[in-house]
Amino acid sequence: MASVIERNNVNVRGAGERAMVFAHGFGCDQNMWRFVAPEFESDFEVVLFDHVGAGGSDLSAYDPRKYSTLSGYADDVVEIGRKLNLRGAVFVGHSVSAMIGVLASLKAPGMFGRLVLVGPSARYIDDIGYVGGFSEKQIAELLEFLEDNHMGWSAAMAPSIMGNPDRPELGEELTNSFCRTDPEIAKAFARVTFTSDNRADLPKVSVPTLILQCKEDIIASTEVGEFVHDQIRGSKMVILDATGHCPNLSAPREVVAAMQAFV
Amino acid sequence: MTPGSEELEDLFENAPCGYLTLAPDGRISRVNQTLCDWTGYPREHFADKRVHQFLNMAGRIYFETHIAPLLRMQGFFHEFALDFVTETGDRMPVIANAAEQRSPDGGVLSTRLVIIRAADRRRYERELVEARTTATESLKGERETSELREQFIAVLGHDLRNPLAAISAGARILQRSGALVEQRELRVLDMINTTVTRMSDLIDNVLDFARGRLGGGITLSRDDRRPLEPVLERVVDELRTASPGRVIETSFEITEPVNCDRTRIGQLVSNLIGNALTHGSPDEPVRVGAKTEGGVFELWVSNAGEPIPVAAMEKLFEPFFRGDVRDSRQGLGLGLHIASQIAQAHGGSIAVTSTAEETQFVFRLPLRG
Repeated sequence: MASVIERNNVNVRGAGERAMVFAHGFGCDQNMWRFVAPEFESDFEVVLFDHVGAGGSDLSAYDPRKYSTLSGYADDVVEIGRKLNLRGAVFVGHSVSAMIGVLASLKAPGMFGRLVLVGPSARYIDDIGYVGGFSEKQIAELLEFLEDNHMGWSAAMAPSIMGNPDRPELGEELTNSFCRTDPEIAKAFARVTFTSDNRADLPKVSVPTLILQCKEDIIASTEVGEFVHDQIRGSKMVILDATGHCPNLSAPREVVAAMQAFV
Repeated sequence: MTPGSEELEDLFENAPCGYLTLAPDGRISRVNQTLCDWTGYPREHFADKRVHQFLNMAGRIYFETHIAPLLRMQGFFHEFALDFVTETGDRMPVIANAAEQRSPDGGVLSTRLVIIRAADRRRYERELVEARTTATESLKGERETSELREQFIAVLGHDLRNPLAAISAGARILQRSGALVEQRELRVLDMINTTVTRMSDLIDNVLDFARGRLGGGITLSRDDRRPLEPVLERVVDELRTASPGRVIETSFEITEPVNCDRTRIGQLVSNLIGNALTHGSPDEPVRVGAKTEGGVFELWVSNAGEPIPVAAMEKLFEPFFRGDVRDSRQGLGLGLHIASQIAQAHGGSIAVTSTAEETQFVFRLPLRG
């Protein structure tokens, strides 16, 4: 088996007593952190990685069963942490990786001393007494749409539709240079992400936690962020001026400032 | 000629594509008339809204998780497919390009989108995807069927051996009992023996072929302590008995031990001689020879008769290749294939030369690999 470092395309940069692990969310890879992570390299050992199936990870390591739950992804985070001997590190997780970080911190007490959750959601689908932002029907529609595999995923899908191994440049031209994902894995990851429910795990979190919430985020609304804030005892919530689901890209300075105040 | 500003304005508003300009915070700051017409929404409806508000749910998620981040990272995103939802609630499939206008420090000044209707293209893409799914599924089905068929061949071959052994044992008992004395009866007994040998060879080949296809390959149990010559003699004797009226000449000069599977080499030479008897001139002898010389074991079988056509040469060793079928007894076309498989399993090879005078197959095996 390939080493964890290769499997998850782990990159370690910077110098510092403490480590800071950045985890990307659904739809992209560690490039997501390009405007944020460098700001911490002078004070932290910065650890970047790709979830299996994304970016530069080892696609052959993708095990549909293991990765059918967020717990499988959290196991990888723990493995990376063990490999790098992390103690009391800061975990920074965007989108679905916020919950992956919550699970990892519960699986390996002591590994992470602080959590930074960017745009977290404990559950995307509405439930009795809970607003997730999506109806069950909408998520089913999304997943069905993905199964159908037409639509906007065509940019990501183009190379495989073309299926033209003699002329790889055809695929190269059609796809975009960052955030390439295998379409089959992307579909599976979407299913895991949007059907996850980690509400019961939140009260178990005991490490200091910072929640960064964007103002207009259709993926993780303010209500969803507030639920996470309520459920994690002693957590701190900062509402960013930024809009959208990716403040780490659209408003990196705000994100960095809020994180620096916390760590 | 420089177009006047009115003309440029008209080009923007009535171009055969939709235009959207977004402010740095992602809100729509300008929309052209074409997109208003296509979507059925008045211009005011777009003001200060976000692109995702005009998309279906899957498109919204895709826009927020893929397009927006990529735009920030690489400054552009080309050829993405989306479904706009029109004022009437219908879906309008489009292809879009987007690019950021950036300030010198890398900040966003604005983002421009070009939107092109793509209903036909989307339909075509969907058909491609469906065709691929169908092709993948039917290929999978074919593979399963073919594997089943090969398993069936393996089982059938194996089960045919038992009744054949019973026939062979019966013939031996009759022979030993001395009960048959009439010339005609003895000829029938010979025919039974010949047919049993031939059928047993066919079954061996079929089983080896099925095993090879099922991934087992040809297994060897090598042994260089016992002499090889008696094995070759026995095979030749069997074939002489089986082919009355045909002459098989032998010349063996095996002076060094040959590290090989003796049963397999027997099968190899039996297949080569069988091939020579089938295709060679019936009036000329088949010559079989073997020698060890210069660190190489060489075994050859040659016959006279029509040369092998050039076109057939390439396919000689392929399974089920039968050349011109002249004789119903020609068999399955597995003999040469299995012979070459046995040669390869030993680390050797079979070469063939064919002229008007002679056709010769030579098996070469380096003695020390």
